[in-house]
Amino acid sequence: MRFRVGSLLAVMVVSAAATLLAHHSVPGQFDVSKPMTLKGIISKVDWINPHIYVHLDVKDAGGTTNTWALATLPTAMMRRAGLTRETLQGKPGEEVTITAVPARDGSKHLGWINKITYADGHSFAPTGQ
Amino acid sequence: MNMTHRFLIPITALAMLATAGTALAQVAARAPDRGTVQQLQKLSAKPTPKLADGRVDFNGTWDHLGGIEFVRPVKRADGSICLIACGPAPGGAPPAPFPPVQTDFPKYKPELQAKVADLKKRQVELDSNLRCQAPGVPRIGPPAKIIQNAREVVFLYDDVNGAFFRIIPTDGRPHRKDVPASYLGDAIGRIEGDTLIVETVAFNEDTWLTDNGAFHTKDLKVTERFRRVGDTIEWRATVQDPAILVEPWSLKPQVMWITDIEVEEPARCEDRDVPHIIDGSHHDNPR
Repeated sequence: MRFRVGSLLAVMVVSAAATLLAHHSVPGQFDVSKPMTLKGIISKVDWINPHIYVHLDVKDAGGTTNTWALATLPTAMMRRAGLTRETLQGKPGEEVTITAVPARDGSKHLGWINKITYADGHSFAPTGQ
Repeated sequence: MNMTHRFLIPITALAMLATAGTALAQVAARAPDRGTVQQLQKLSAKPTPKLADGRVDFNGTWDHLGGIEFVRPVKRADGSICLIACGPAPGGAPPAPFPPVQTDFPKYKPELQAKVADLKKRQVELDSNLRCQAPGVPRIGPPAKIIQNAREVVFLYDDVNGAFFRIIPTDGRPHRKDVPASYLGDAIGRIEGDTLIVETVAFNEDTWLTDNGAFHTKDLKVTERFRRVGDTIEWRATVQDPAILVEPWSLKPQVMWITDIEVEEPARCEDRDVPHIIDGSHHDNPR
């Protein structure tokens, strides 16, 4: 039995990264050097893979509302942290602050979420905080 | 234990002893909340269960880190959550750094190196895995659930690209002749002692073996071996495609362990990103 366990552990050592998700990189799509802050109301969460999209209604200085589509991590990663579509969306009508980075291809109102801060101060940060 | 294992296991055990300090640290850093060395020791030491007909029982829901072991949520008292590359938990020590990615790649014939390099450069443009297609075999990795009966085993996958399944006859049926080529191929299996051996052919050519341009032909054959040890399974896969590979490619083995976290239906896969990607860069890590 000792050898069987040893064999398994040796296997674990070499399997460190065999199944990481292959996907494009965030800097390949978004300009990580240009963080921005958006305030608005989350009108919809598209609970989809490979990236969830949060739709944020933001009023500009002239009173016009623009809806930003803001990408974040896949659903399985959210589930790992106990997050759901509902917890991500927050309370109805709640104003949130989102720091994000914009699309590199010039698409308007498209970005990647760095952090969402909800009205009561708690936050959700996909990567770092 | 067969003769092969009589020799292999002491060798791997010795290799492990030589690197034990680093190995334990790497495992602990990779998945501090699950899949620890202590958990695996306990699970592998359990008796290997058998079915009423005497065959080893492969039924179960199986965890294998799933490729997202770098997600290590930190929750704070106010309800804040961080998922990746978080700082220390309140009052806790800083998390150990994530171990570097260990890449592995099949050996292509010299005349195909340029083609592989070109595919690698254009991965974001060409890789069907980035467009919600089934990843193919062995890229899909070990299954999340195994259902076994007297005639077949069924593999279920909870994948970021969708919910996939494979039905694998184990009663001596040959490969089917009338099935179209597919992403996950046509599989047959057999059980030898504590190991389920699955051979899969009849793949289409839309998938890659792994990241970075690892294409294959329609003659691809993949052999997977699932060796049950207590409440764990060692998963090994070997790829044969002699027209393009210098030699069979054996992937780095993985360990699966029994879990009571049931498989969920994955959310719909709908890629919205690829049209907006500027430079074609991608995560340099294989699946």
